[in-house]
Amino acid sequence: MKITETIDIRFPKTLAEALRLQAGEKTRGQLLAGGTDLMVQWASGAPTPERATSIWNLPELDAIEIFDDFIEVGAGVTHAFLRDAAPIHRHLPALVAAAATIGAAQIQARGTLGGNAANASPAGDTAPALLVSGGSVLLASRSGTRTVPLDRFWTAYRRIDAQPDEIIVAFRLPRKGSARERFRKIGTRRAQAISKVMAASRIRIVKGRVTSAAIALGSIAPTPVRLSAVESLLVGQKLTPALIDEAEQLAQATVQPIDDIRSSADYRRWASGRLVRDALENL
Amino acid sequence: MTKPQSPPRRLIGQGMMRVDGDGKVRGTTRYLNDLAYRGLLHGAVVRSPVPRGLLKGITPDPDYDWSGITFVTAADIPGINVVHMHDRTMPLLAELGGEIRYRGEPVGVVAARTPERAAAAAAHIRLDIEVLPPLLTLQEAVAVFKARPGAFDSMKDQSIVKGDLARGFAEADDVLEAEYWAGHQEQLYLENQGLIVFPQKDGSILVEGSIQCPYFPVHELNDPLQLPPEKIRVRQTPIGGAFGGKEDYPTMLTGYAALPALKSGRPVKITYERNEDILFTPKRHPVWVRYKTGFKKDGTLTAIECDFLLDGGAYLTLSDVVMFRGILHCALAYRCDNVTIRGRVARTNSMPCGAFRGFGAPQAIWGLESHLDAIAARLGKPPHLYRLQVHARPGDVTPTGQVLSGENGSTACLKLALQRADFARKLKRCSRGRLRRGQAKWYGIGLAFFGHGAAFTGDGEAKFKAKGRVELTRLADGRPGIDIRVSSTEMGQGVHTVFTQIAADALSLDPGRIRFPLADTGLTPNSGPTVASRTTMVVGNVVHRAALDLKRQIESFASRRHFKGAAVELRRSQLVAPGRPPLPFARVARDMLAELGGASGFFQFELPPETKWDQQAFVGDSYPGYSWSANIAEIEIDPLTCEIDVKRVTAVLDIGRVINPVTASGQVEGGLTQALGYALLEKIGTGRNGLYDAARLQTYIIPTARDIPEFDVQFVEYPYTFAPPGAKGLGELPMDGLAPAIANAVEAATGRRIRTLPITPEAIFAALHPAQGAPAS
Ligand SMILES: Cc1cc2nc3c(=O)[nH]c(=O)nc-3n(C[C@H](O)[C@H](O)[C@H](O)COP(=O)(O)OP(=O)(O)OC[C@H]3O[C@@H](n4cnc5c(N)ncnc54)[C@H](O)[C@@H]3O)c2cc1C
Repeated sequence: MKITETIDIRFPKTLAEALRLQAGEKTRGQLLAGGTDLMVQWASGAPTPERATSIWNLPELDAIEIFDDFIEVGAGVTHAFLRDAAPIHRHLPALVAAAATIGAAQIQARGTLGGNAANASPAGDTAPALLVSGGSVLLASRSGTRTVPLDRFWTAYRRIDAQPDEIIVAFRLPRKGSARERFRKIGTRRAQAISKVMAASRIRIVKGRVTSAAIALGSIAPTPVRLSAVESLLVGQKLTPALIDEAEQLAQATVQPIDDIRSSADYRRWASGRLVRDALENL
Repeated sequence: MTKPQSPPRRLIGQGMMRVDGDGKVRGTTRYLNDLAYRGLLHGAVVRSPVPRGLLKGITPDPDYDWSGITFVTAADIPGINVVHMHDRTMPLLAELGGEIRYRGEPVGVVAARTPERAAAAAAHIRLDIEVLPPLLTLQEAVAVFKARPGAFDSMKDQSIVKGDLARGFAEADDVLEAEYWAGHQEQLYLENQGLIVFPQKDGSILVEGSIQCPYFPVHELNDPLQLPPEKIRVRQTPIGGAFGGKEDYPTMLTGYAALPALKSGRPVKITYERNEDILFTPKRHPVWVRYKTGFKKDGTLTAIECDFLLDGGAYLTLSDVVMFRGILHCALAYRCDNVTIRGRVARTNSMPCGAFRGFGAPQAIWGLESHLDAIAARLGKPPHLYRLQVHARPGDVTPTGQVLSGENGSTACLKLALQRADFARKLKRCSRGRLRRGQAKWYGIGLAFFGHGAAFTGDGEAKFKAKGRVELTRLADGRPGIDIRVSSTEMGQGVHTVFTQIAADALSLDPGRIRFPLADTGLTPNSGPTVASRTTMVVGNVVHRAALDLKRQIESFASRRHFKGAAVELRRSQLVAPGRPPLPFARVARDMLAELGGASGFFQFELPPETKWDQQAFVGDSYPGYSWSANIAEIEIDPLTCEIDVKRVTAVLDIGRVINPVTASGQVEGGLTQALGYALLEKIGTGRNGLYDAARLQTYIIPTARDIPEFDVQFVEYPYTFAPPGAKGLGELPMDGLAPAIANAVEAATGRRIRTLPITPEAIFAALHPAQGAPAS
């Protein structure tokens, strides 16, 4: 199918202008960041909008700022920028690793973190890494700004807690500090691959005991999910081989993945536990 | 037949640059969709929404605006509603009152000023169909075959019998039986299917498009279009990949476009978008193959019994010949006195399967090479030593009774591959499901060994008699040069380059003066379709001989006209005679063009007169020659996730004389990559609605550059001396054996044998955890 309808794309210069364009119910357009999800959706027959608002290159969305406790990553930051932004690697290594697995170089150069999050695909690779940071999303509209914790942001299959007139401005992500992070993706192949299962984790160990644990999986449920049962199992414990076995099995018992074209429910369930093991064995 | 004297070789054996490379690299080559025409109509095919049913009515929506739109159904077919193919059973368009046999079967064609308008109009054709229960997949067909053989619907049966199977099993100390499966594979050429049909004033048609076998539409549509071959002219546009996918299908597409073109009197173009191309064009045949083999304690194979079943889809099209090639490879590579192979083509309610690189051989070799490893394991013999013991070599007799000549480098391939990959030593390091010290991943190495019959099966080449010309002409720069006129098509494999090398060497001319115009059935003699790994071997010989014919004509003209009857030789672009100053070719050629208007060398291919083939019994010389290869795959499997990483592939090939080692290696690496996809990634299923489940590049997974292993590609040369310059088949060989080599490596790595392709992490997981995962099918 070809895109034959004309789409009126507006190119605001500032966030304020973009927010103004998004405010009117009748004139509001679809937000267009890198377009790497949208263009594909439009080309494969999804109804094309009459209007779109390009937020590509909006200066307010493009920065990464390092604060004492957290990093603020603009929604317009591309995966390539994240991948190459050396100063944040030690603070958010799981997110950086996730960004580096997205598509391949071309898609990384164009796809944005905001787009990945807002597209809300269960297979969005950055989502588990965002989740384990324990951070939040900054949303702006003409009527003001608000913050949504990431673990409440993805509400249902392809749904996010954001109104049509809201724009994701940035992600406020606590630095990992002394915790360890890991990201691992099982894709359909070695590049340009959609995830069958992927996992991100942030685990802190003090004096041999787990003091905090965040583990998140993607592609195994309608939304990215935290494995809270596994996390509570771990906290306060010493990471013995027996505990790791238990965590693996608990993860497998907790998740309820489905069969689809990319993988089987059985494999996904098993692999979910395996990725938990991988996270715990590689601290 | 006397062999012609070969001129001193200059280009053959060298990695000459691709003659078509510049345009393709710079993007100046103009493919079908780069060509603009005025007044075109665009066609859209109206398809059946169900896989089986009775077509009761076709009604254009009365409320839709049909102005400017041409709509055709079977009622508009001037002649008989049938595409010839191999059995004249497939209608060009489903007949009103007739049975629809696959989802997407064409019912009509709409043509309009724009593709969008055509697609919209096509959606306004209402079909009244009485739905019937379909049989969709090979799995269902095999279930019928096993439970109620009498009810099994086979479109073609063929057996090969050698010796006495019962005696063979009686002599055996042990018997091993197993079944192997593989699914569809999509060719996934870069350029989708497309062509334009231009109706001509005299009622004939001109077809332009991405067509691998330009003479097929000429000979396959005479009945439906009521046009004799000379009134269907086909001109090839540059082809952006084909792999067999543009062998049979463009004939059907020509039919679809011709009907509205003839009805409207205007040219009609049909090109597919990727979705339509994946969903509704032919693929590699799914296979089920069952081997039952008897062998002695010392390993001697005493009996091979094989059932080879292909899913042909709804109509036979060319599946009989695919099955023939399959069964001819089911026991080709090993010594055994008692062989029975039974081939069948199952009918299912799915898109007819078609040609794809390998043409039945990869399916056969997938089963045989997996099974041979299993026999070796049962015998407790290392797989390579077992193959060295029982592989076929010169003097051996194939299942059809053909004696392998000395021009078969089977042993050399096997030995060199084992040596280069250091197979014997690495075999000992294989994990077999247990991590050794220092290993983080399971390691496995696997071998496959196989032959590939080159050129048409049986007496195909003898009957076909490939024809070609090499002509003296004036090139675009006004100076004399050479035109190669054969119908072989360049589709990325390098035939233009290789034939230029052959002609340049035969004529002893600069390759820069040689041109290879795209095939045009109005101008190009029929050297046959570009299929069956026959082109360099058979048509290369035609070019070589036609070029020598032209060379003799140029020499005798020069002798008469410039050298007073002295013996003259064309050598290095000069005409030379003893004791006289040489004359440049250009000078003599100009005189020849002025006086004679041109000159043309001609050759028609024939097989050696002693070739024997009985098509009924399948006995005799099943192929003019055989190429051979050994593939070795080294893999790692992550025990954590069952992900498979192919690290290194060694391929040694005997393809006869290697004309261009660079393009040949490129073919091999490309084919191995395609085989890697077949082995590990490419999976397409059928939903209950009869539609493939992977209809886009997002879901049909082929290897990317990152999935490609390190390759070690080597050639050993055992030329086919009957047909200088002595090439054998290359195109299909690299597709044949990597899947079983990988399966054998997976077995070595995990201790589990996977008998269904593709071998996904899910399949390995299921094999390792039989309780948790149902075996992936
Ligand atoms: C070939 C290919 C490979 C891919 N591989 C991967 C992969 O490996 N992993 C993966 O996760 N994804 C992959 N993707 C999907 C896609 O590239 C990513 O999801 C990317 O991050 C989307 O970002 P974008 O800026 O292009 O989004 P767009 O397409 O511009 O937008 C996507 C959605 O988000 C909304 N949106 C964008 N920005 C904002 C904002 N600031 N506020 C509110 N809403 C917003 C848009 O309105 C739209 O609904 C791939 C895509 C392609 C084409």
